[in-house]
Amino acid sequence: MTIDMSQFYQVFFEETAEHLADMESLLLGLDVGDPDDEQLNAIFRAAHSIKGSSGTFGFTDLAEVTHVLENLLDRIRKHELALRTDMVDAFLEAGDTLKGMLAAHQGGAPVAADAVDRVCGNLRALTRADAPAAAAAPEPAPPAVAPPPAALVAYDIEFLPTVEATADAEALSNLLHELATLGELEVLARPAAATPGLWRLRLCTAAPREEFEDALEFVSERDAWRVNVAAADLVDAGGAFGLFVPPETAASEAYGFFEPVAGEAAPAVVEEGDGFGFFAPLPAAATPVVEEGDGYGLFEAPAATVVEAAPPPPAPLPEPPPEPAPPPRSKPPAAAGAAAEAASIRVSVERVDQLINLVGELVITQAMLLQCAQQMGEAAPETLVNGLAQLERNTRGLQEAVMSIRMMPISFVFSRFPRVVRDLSSKLGKQVELKMSGETTELDKGLIERIADPLTHLIRNSLDHGIEAPEKRLAAGKSATGTITLKAAHQGGNVVIEVGDDGAGLNRQRILAKARERGFQVSDQISDQDVWALIFEAGFSTADVVTDVSGRGVGMDVVRRNIQAMGGRIEIESMAGIGTRMTVRLPLTLAILDGMSVAVGGHTYILPLSYVVESLQPAPGDVKTLSNQGRVIRVRGDYLPIVALHDLFRVPGAESDFTRGILIVLDADGAKAALFVDALVGQHQVVIKSLEQNYRRVPGVSGATIMGDGRVAMILDVSALIESARTAQAAAAPVPA
Amino acid sequence: MDIPKQQNAAPEEDLVASEYLTFRLGDEEYAIDILKVQEIRGYEPPTSIAYAPPFIKGVINLRGIIVPIVDLRIKFALGTVEYTPFTVVIILNVAQRVIGVVVDSVSDVTSLTRGQIRQAPDFSASFDTKYILGLASMEERMLIVTDIERLMGSRDMELIDEAAAQ
Repeated sequence: MTIDMSQFYQVFFEETAEHLADMESLLLGLDVGDPDDEQLNAIFRAAHSIKGSSGTFGFTDLAEVTHVLENLLDRIRKHELALRTDMVDAFLEAGDTLKGMLAAHQGGAPVAADAVDRVCGNLRALTRADAPAAAAAPEPAPPAVAPPPAALVAYDIEFLPTVEATADAEALSNLLHELATLGELEVLARPAAATPGLWRLRLCTAAPREEFEDALEFVSERDAWRVNVAAADLVDAGGAFGLFVPPETAASEAYGFFEPVAGEAAPAVVEEGDGFGFFAPLPAAATPVVEEGDGYGLFEAPAATVVEAAPPPPAPLPEPPPEPAPPPRSKPPAAAGAAAEAASIRVSVERVDQLINLVGELVITQAMLLQCAQQMGEAAPETLVNGLAQLERNTRGLQEAVMSIRMMPISFVFSRFPRVVRDLSSKLGKQVELKMSGETTELDKGLIERIADPLTHLIRNSLDHGIEAPEKRLAAGKSATGTITLKAAHQGGNVVIEVGDDGAGLNRQRILAKARERGFQVSDQISDQDVWALIFEAGFSTADVVTDVSGRGVGMDVVRRNIQAMGGRIEIESMAGIGTRMTVRLPLTLAILDGMSVAVGGHTYILPLSYVVESLQPAPGDVKTLSNQGRVIRVRGDYLPIVALHDLFRVPGAESDFTRGILIVLDADGAKAALFVDALVGQHQVVIKSLEQNYRRVPGVSGATIMGDGRVAMILDVSALIESARTAQAAAAPVPA
Repeated sequence: MDIPKQQNAAPEEDLVASEYLTFRLGDEEYAIDILKVQEIRGYEPPTSIAYAPPFIKGVINLRGIIVPIVDLRIKFALGTVEYTPFTVVIILNVAQRVIGVVVDSVSDVTSLTRGQIRQAPDFSASFDTKYILGLASMEERMLIVTDIERLMGSRDMELIDEAAAQ
């Protein structure tokens, strides 16, 4: 009876996908000229983890590809090979293939076998090409994808079961049973039932040791077991194992431990994570002890690898001590443990929303209770007051925690773009650098998922149509390398994402010509903005050549539709020869904002704190008028226009005497204004709620929020307020003669 | 063959009854499809919104959702506009939106068949007849059966952005 693994498949899929993503981002971050050892090791660990867990779960196809990948990585890691760009490409390609295979296991379309073969062949060629040692190795080195050779090897297995496993007799008998299915099993020593103690087994099998090592992990701590090769029955299956045994030891030495050449600095016994490896290299020996490129790596390659593989357990092991063996380098469980720490659970969004609403209600109830206690005044018992204060703290904490569940940094989307740009630019023969900023901008998860495709399209578009070929750029006096900038920021209750390029810019004439060709009614007089907007029309493409990148004209209209469906909008700015910038504005359906609450005529409004510079109480005579209409105030040498909120919003009963209210200096992208309100109330973290969901847009208001007392307060759109001040002032300013 | 079938079908359909919520606005009694009604609650002072017409009283917080409140009494110039603890707000769920409507009082829920609803006389361009599905009589009472979804989604109500309104 074997353990049913299928229940762990989902975990495996998620973990492997995580590792693949890690690997990809690491690969993209590698400096090819001077790769960082730590990064190389991290990539190797990721690959190794994939291999290990694929093996465990029986996805041998995945394990095989990863194995080939790992071989090359290993050589690079050990500085036997210099990293080259084509290797990175091969790794990335292999990563894609693995992703495809993973998807196939999850019920996706199967990956073509020849594609897999090609990837493996590529990697193998790279591994071999620069390996003089491998050249010396007697061929044939059969591909790792070949079925495991049928050479029998005897392993000495020792393990110390965990406390749970000790108590669970069934777990142990399962293990024995499983091992017995692999080959001939002999129990050399076993402790009395249900008492802790060391087990010693001997297994004679043709199966690779990984197969039962994983089984051991179930009953024993990682460091509390070891597997030694007791004897290799050298039925050399076509050289697959590449066991080169010096003739004098082959027949007689039952234990097959090679004595190191005395005085050699090299460690005698090298334990390698996935090797069979107890065969020490014999640096002095002329016998061809060579690492065999694709096989099971029984022999460590001389010199370089030996250094790497330190520290070894004490050389010749007459009787291996029962204490745990040093953990092999980069074993799968090590990495799996790291993944478990970063693990996540999937929860449906509705549940989170429900939670958010419930917490909102809780906050309101808590505020109500607090108000109640305050009304009681002195009569309120102290314990009640203290309890309520604590309740307030806890609900605030709870609210913040719950709110943060839905928010994710936009880097989740951005992280895929370096790859997109890299692949595309090499495909199109362009040199492009991607600059990203504002990756930590938090955005609602729902939006994160939906913004990925439109953004990808915009970037592809910039790359394909915007950035010119290097020669053209040089001819235009620009550097050969184009730049695509990707920026995200919170702005006025919106998330603004900019995709910019320093390419050729949009061609007004061509768009107009194309529009006419398509039968749109356009005049030559229409503004640039309107011309640019034409490219969002369905079926519109000005690309001369339809490539597989873009030019089919099915892109931009979908982009705009998707963005509009999210309640956002997209704008284009473009200058011929300078570049194009696409700005996507998304509403924050659910975002937390640091706000300052202000009172105007009994109403509360929220100002986003990021716009607030300072507040001041004007003295009589500080406020001057312009043409008796616009009012300004001088603050630190600048004359700022004054926006009286009660005038703008026609709020009755508000303070209109400037000296009795307060002026708040606001700054939105360099434009400044002073907002006149009755009083400052306080500072809160508020949840932005959409006003447009059930109502419509209100000028000067970017959203609404629910205050502690359950009432609704409007969040002011500072940019719009400042804009209104500017226009009012422009109207009031005397016309220059 | 077709003609008798149609004749048979029409009365059959007329017998299918739907439930309507009836409410009062001044002396008039209105009926709206009960399936559009989410809940009925007491009036609480809403937060006023800048640039809103007088009949839009503002917005309230309905369990975390921002809901605009329309006072139909102001809109239709009916009844006395005063807010007491007994003032009723009908929360509607129309056109994927949640909207609160202030009325004088909610009367009851009645079943009306198609046959009971008579066509309203045409008052040509008059505003409120556009959204009237018909008139139904219940004993002495005349119910004005209103297409509340169309009314709330209309441009006249100023509840929806110009672009989104039909």
